[in-house]
Amino acid sequence: MKQFSALLLKEWRENLRNYKIFWIPIVFILLGITEPLSNYYLPQILDATGGLPEGAVIELPDPEPEQLMVAVMGQFQLIGMLVLVLAYMGSIAGERRNGTATLLYVRPLSYVSYFLSKWLMASAVALLSVWAGFLAGYYYTAVLFSAVPFGEFLAFAATYSVWIVLVVTLVLFASASMPNGGLAAGLTLAALLILQLIHSLFGSQWDWSPFRLPNYAASFLDIGPDAVALAWTLALSLVCLLILATMGIWFAKRNRAKTKV
Amino acid sequence: MNLVEVKSLSKRFGNEQAVDGISFELAEGSATALIGPNGAGKTTTLSMLAGLLEATDGEIQRKKNLTIGFLPQYPRFFPWLSALEFTEMAAKLSGVDAKKARQQSERTLGFVGLHQVAHKKIGGFSGGMKQRLGLAQAIVHQPSVLLLDEPISSLDPTGRREVMELLKSLLGQTTVLYSTHILNDAEEMTDQLLFLKNGRLVEQGSLSQVRRRYEDPHIRVRFENTDAAEWFVREAPWPTSVKGTAAVIPVKAEGPAIQDVFRFLSVKSLPVIGVEHETASLEDIFLKVVAGK
Repeated sequence: MKQFSALLLKEWRENLRNYKIFWIPIVFILLGITEPLSNYYLPQILDATGGLPEGAVIELPDPEPEQLMVAVMGQFQLIGMLVLVLAYMGSIAGERRNGTATLLYVRPLSYVSYFLSKWLMASAVALLSVWAGFLAGYYYTAVLFSAVPFGEFLAFAATYSVWIVLVVTLVLFASASMPNGGLAAGLTLAALLILQLIHSLFGSQWDWSPFRLPNYAASFLDIGPDAVALAWTLALSLVCLLILATMGIWFAKRNRAKTKV
Repeated sequence: MNLVEVKSLSKRFGNEQAVDGISFELAEGSATALIGPNGAGKTTTLSMLAGLLEATDGEIQRKKNLTIGFLPQYPRFFPWLSALEFTEMAAKLSGVDAKKARQQSERTLGFVGLHQVAHKKIGGFSGGMKQRLGLAQAIVHQPSVLLLDEPISSLDPTGRREVMELLKSLLGQTTVLYSTHILNDAEEMTDQLLFLKNGRLVEQGSLSQVRRRYEDPHIRVRFENTDAAEWFVREAPWPTSVKGTAAVIPVKAEGPAIQDVFRFLSVKSLPVIGVEHETASLEDIFLKVVAGK
C-alpha cells in the first residue's frame, strides 16, 4: 500500500507535468463539440465551400440529438482511442527502454502496485476525457438542437466508460509485454482491428462480447439494451480486464531484466 | 561475517557467456573492487546481485532482510520530478516510512551536496549532479549493501575527487561492491580485489596479497641513449635486460641491492639519468592479469 501510494503519486506528477491530464481531455472535448457544431452550421459550411448549384433546393432535416451523441461516440472510437493508445503506449515499455525503470526495479518493488498505479492513473485520465467530451457534446446538442434525456445519457456514457477502461487495460498490457512503445501501440491497434473484423464477420450471435459495449451504450439512447445480455457482457468484460491486468503484471515483472542498465 | 555469498554464478545471453562461474564473498563492512576491461561481465554481475537479472547457473546467498542500494553506470531519472521528490519515492519504495522518507531524503541530499537544488527538476541537472543524485537514491534507505557500477568514471577530475570523498566516508558503515577501470580509485578504497576477464574471475584477494603475487620488484637504470644501456647490460654482473634507453635488473633473493648498482655505476662514467627501485603498480598488475601482458 505504501508502495502503491508512492507510485501513484509519481504517475499523478507525470500526467500533470507532461500535461496529459489537460491535453487528452481537451481533445475529447473538441471531438465532443464538433459533431453538434458542424451539424448546426452545415448550411453555412456548404455555402462557404462553394455552395450548391443554382436552383438546387435541399432540405436539411435537423438531426436527432441521439444520432449526434452516437456520432460523438464514433469519433471517440476512432480518434479518441488512437489518442489514448499513443499517450499510454510507453507507460511501461518506455520506462524500460530509456532506463528510468532501472532505479525502480532494483528495489523490492511490488509489480502489482507498479502496474495498478499506472492503470489507475491512465483509466482516470481516460474516464475524465470521455465524460468531459460526452458532457460537452451533450451540452452543445441540447443548446443547438434538443436535449437527450439525461438518465439515458448517463447510462450511455457509463456503459461506454466500461469499454474505454478495458481498452486502457489492453494498452498497458501491451506496454508491459512489448519491447517498446511503438510495438505496444501496434499490438493494441492490431488486436482491436482484427477482433473487430472477426466480430463483424462471425459475431452476429455473440451477444455477450465486450465488443458489443459501444452498441449497448448507443442503444440506451434508443429502446435500451437487453438487460440479460448487457449483464453478461459486463461480466465478461470484467473477466477480460482481470486477465489482461494479471498478464500485464506478470509481463512487467518478467521483462524487468530488459530494462537498460 | 558475510552478507553475500556468490557461488559459481553464471549468466548466458544466447550463445554469449557473459559471466562464467564466479565465486566470492562480501564481508560486512568491506569494500570490494570489481576490476576488468569493458565487456568483462562487471555490469552483468552487479545486475544479478541487484536482482535485475536471473542467474543462468549458480546462486547468490543473501543474508536475511538484506537491503540493497544500486547505482547504475548511467543512472536515468524522470526529468519531471525534483531531486527531493525522486529520493523520497526511492526511499518509500525501499520500505522507509513516509515521515522518515522525507527526513532521510533531505539529509542524504545534503550529504551529496544537492540540498540547494533539492526542489529543482532533475531535467535541468548536469551529469555530475545526476551522478550525485544517483548516489543519493542508492543510499537514502541506508542499505546494508551498496552496489556501484563505475561510480566515477563518467565524471571530470573535480567531480571524481568529490564523489570519491563521499564514497570513502561511507566505508566502514556500509558494505560496498563497485566496478571500476580507474585503478587509482581501487587503490584508495578496497579490501578485496576481483579481477574479471571474459566473465571469469582471473585473480582475487586483498590489495597486499595481489601486490605480493605480482609486484615483480626491479631496479631501472635510465641512460641518455641505448648504447649506454646495452653496454651496461653486457658488463653488469647481474642478469639484466634492455628496455628502450633503460636497463632493468630484476630484484630477487640473489640479485643486487640498489647500493650495489650505485657502486657499480660510480666507477664507470656512463650517461646515467636516474636509478629507481620499482614495484608493479596496480595498472601493471591489471595489464598482466587481465590483458595477459
